[in-house]
Formats: sequence, structure tokens, C-alpha cells
Amino acid sequence: MTDTLDDTPKAPTRWETIQPWISLACRLGLAAVLITAAVTKYPPALSIQAVEAYDLFPTEVARLIGYTLPLFELALALLLLLGLATRYSGAVGAILMVLFIAGIVSAMARGLSIDCGCFGGGGQVDPEETSYGVSIARDVAFAAMGAFVAIWPRSPFALDRVLGLYR
Amino acid sequence: MGSEARKRSREKLKEQREKERRSARRKKNLLVVGIAAAVVLLIVGVGYAVMTSGEDEGYEGELAAQVLQEDGSVVMADEGVSVPVVEVYADYQCPACRQFELLNGDLLKERAASGEAIVHFRPVSIFAQQPTPISSNSLRAGAAARAAADHGVFVAYNDLLFENQPAEGRAGFTVDELKEWFRQTDADESQASEFDERVDAEAEIVDRFTEEFLPDLTADATEEIGEETLGTMVLTDLLAWGADNGHDPSFLDGTYTGEIIDATGTAYTRYSGDNMFRGTPAVYINGELLDNNSAMTARGLSEAIASASAGEVETEPMGDGGDAE
Repeated sequence: MTDTLDDTPKAPTRWETIQPWISLACRLGLAAVLITAAVTKYPPALSIQAVEAYDLFPTEVARLIGYTLPLFELALALLLLLGLATRYSGAVGAILMVLFIAGIVSAMARGLSIDCGCFGGGGQVDPEETSYGVSIARDVAFAAMGAFVAIWPRSPFALDRVLGLYR
Repeated sequence: MGSEARKRSREKLKEQREKERRSARRKKNLLVVGIAAAVVLLIVGVGYAVMTSGEDEGYEGELAAQVLQEDGSVVMADEGVSVPVVEVYADYQCPACRQFELLNGDLLKERAASGEAIVHFRPVSIFAQQPTPISSNSLRAGAAARAAADHGVFVAYNDLLFENQPAEGRAGFTVDELKEWFRQTDADESQASEFDERVDAEAEIVDRFTEEFLPDLTADATEEIGEETLGTMVLTDLLAWGADNGHDPSFLDGTYTGEIIDATGTAYTRYSGDNMFRGTPAVYINGELLDNNSAMTARGLSEAIASASAGEVETEPMGDGGDAE
């Protein structure tokens, strides 16, 4: 069946050519970041310590976050790599980064001197050694990557395409 | 008229088709999101189950005998067993030590009670030179744990200290708290009053040390030998320097505060090469330092103990009946 509705062929604009590749780069970049973040958080006991250093959660909740956050990061990375539910993966990635930023800002505001524990590490550091600014800037960049994917999910090498989404 | 009607019906059909397409799309979207959510749940769920599978439910059984050693450390083991020796160096103010204790404390109790390991607790204070209250918390807790060991309840008290560890940089391990926690162990009231007295005395020593003695000594030493050299000196070396330069540390003699400072200094010189003591928690099996993946996971520690041969405890038990069982 031919569809004459909106299939009027027209030359793709420059943006339409480039955008899928930028989306792909954001997908892969964010996935790499998430995998690195997850792997460096091992073993979980140290990841729990990094969470506890924020002094925001009761012991049991901190423990649960310490175990499951790296796993969640891994799972999200996998979705981004596969290009499955691309729009939502990107959005969740961006939201996750915003949550991280909120955590870091709260630590800063309360005068804690901790390592963000973003890529392993974590816990107390000397007040001169805190790097909240860098951590926040980094997370803003990652959030932007996630947002880009969420807004323009169309990209090559994605399962979504095979399933007929964002062609 | 007829053509009008046809046009209208054609438009209606178009609309209908568009609607169907949109609904199909929505369904597909929903399906894909569902699959993605399932993937996430699967990874998180299975991963969590795998990682926590080696962790014990908690050990509530009888503890192996606790024997106080001459240097103030405590050996928990069945008498006369010939099994691997697990040494645990920990600072009560160190968050990673708390995680080690929460994760593997019960595993160690269980292995000691079943005669599979000799557990050697070696409390230290690597934070003694940090600013207060980090330093004072660390020392006060270390001294209190040593006092609890006098009454044979070190292991239970050790647990309580880590459970109630103050956030780094916050006041905590107060004298009142330390006394209250002692009463949560099996110790009796006469032991408790002895313990109280000791903790009061140690708290005064800790205050004097962290608020007057050490700042003065550090200021002098910075001037005399320079910040750089000072940075490489362990606390015991600094104290020795101070003793020759008008900072008499003899008020520490015979105190548990002094003892834990000594124990920390000794830890830094006890090992060499890859086994060097660098910070806490440090877990050694038969003198071999475990890496984080072994020490800080239940399965890792369990396997490390299972694959080690029998070892020797290097310290001597306290001679004067210091241990009560």
C-alpha cells in the first residue's frame, strides 16, 4: 500500500544527516561513562561507604544504594549500547545525573568535605581536596548527553530501529 | 453533493488510519519500554542476588574464646587450633573499617567459633594526628575498646563501636555513650564501674593529647625539622623526637591511649614490600595483606581463609590474668 500522506521525498537537511550520529556518539559516550562508574565502584562495601559519606540515608538504605546503583548504571549502559528504548534510557540517564548533582550540591551546602564517589573512591577527604566544581561540571556534561539522546533518539545501530521506532 | 460526501468519508478514513497508526506506535513504544525495564530489573535483581549470596545472615552463636595480648590486641579463637591467622587492623573512626565490620564481622566470628580461623583484632588509630574531633573520637574509642578487652567483652564492644560510628568530623564516641554501650555487653555492674573509671581517665588523656600536647609538638617540629620531613614521620617517631626536644610524652605511659598509639606505630614497621601497612582496614592472612576484592567481599574473604594454611599468632597473651572469659 502506498502512502501519499507525508512521504513527499525531499533532500534531508544538514541537521537531519548529522543528528543521528551525534545521538549515537552520546549513547556510546554515556554508556562508557556509566560502565566506568559501575566497575570502579566495586567492591560494594566501598560503594556503600561512599554513599554513607553523603550522610543522607539510614544505614540500610545506604547499603541498598551501594549495591544496586552500580548495577543500575550497568543496566542503563547496556540499554544505551543496544539502543533499546533509546529516548527513555537517555532521559533516565539525564535524570540520574541531575540526582547526582543534587547530592553533591547538598554535600557542599552542608560543608562536608567528601569525594563524590562518582568513579569509585568516595568518603572523607581533606577540605582543600574536594572537587565539587569539577564533579558537578562533569555531571552536567553527562546530563546533556542524556538529554540529547532523549530529545533526538533517532540514531544508527539501535535495536529500536529494528523494532520500528525512531526510523 | 455526492462528491462532497465521498470527500468527507475519505477524510474520515484518513483520520481513522492515522489514529490506528498512532495507537500502534504507542503500543510498540510501550512494549519496548517494558522490555527495557525488564532488562534493568533482571540485571539489578540478579546482580544483587549474586553479590549478596556469599554474605551470612548474621552470627548469633557462641563466640570463640577472646584472649587479650600483651600489646593490647585481642585474639579470638578456639584453644589449640592450628588454622590460618586473620589479622584485622582497624580504626574505630574509619568508615571503610565500619563497612568491613558490617560486612565480614559475623563471618569472622563464625569462622573462629567453628575452629576454621584464628582472628586477631588489632585496633589502631591512624587518625590520631587528624584534627579533632576525628583524632579524639578515634583515640577515645580505641582506648575504650582496650578497656572492654580487660573485661573479656572486646568483640561485642568492637561491634557496638562500629555500629555507632559517628560521621567523620562530627563529635561522637562521647564518654557517656562509651559507658552506655559497655552496659549492652555481657559485663556486670562491678566491671562497668571499673570500665567507667578507665574511660573517664582515658578521655582526659585524649583531650590533653589532641588539644594541647600534639598541636604544640607539631608546631615545634614543623619549625625545627620542616613540614616535608614531618609528613613522612609516623606519630611514634614524632613523639620520640618530642621526648628529646622538650615535649615529655610520659603522661601517655601506661594509658590505653598511649598503647594504641604505640600499636599503630608498630603496625607501620611490621611489614615490608607489598604487605606494607598503609591504612585501614588492613586484613592480613598469615602476614599476607589481602587486596580490597578479597577483604571487602564476603566471598573473597571466605575463600582466602579456606585456601590459607595454618599460621602462627605473633603476639603473646597477657600474663597477668588480663583476660576474663
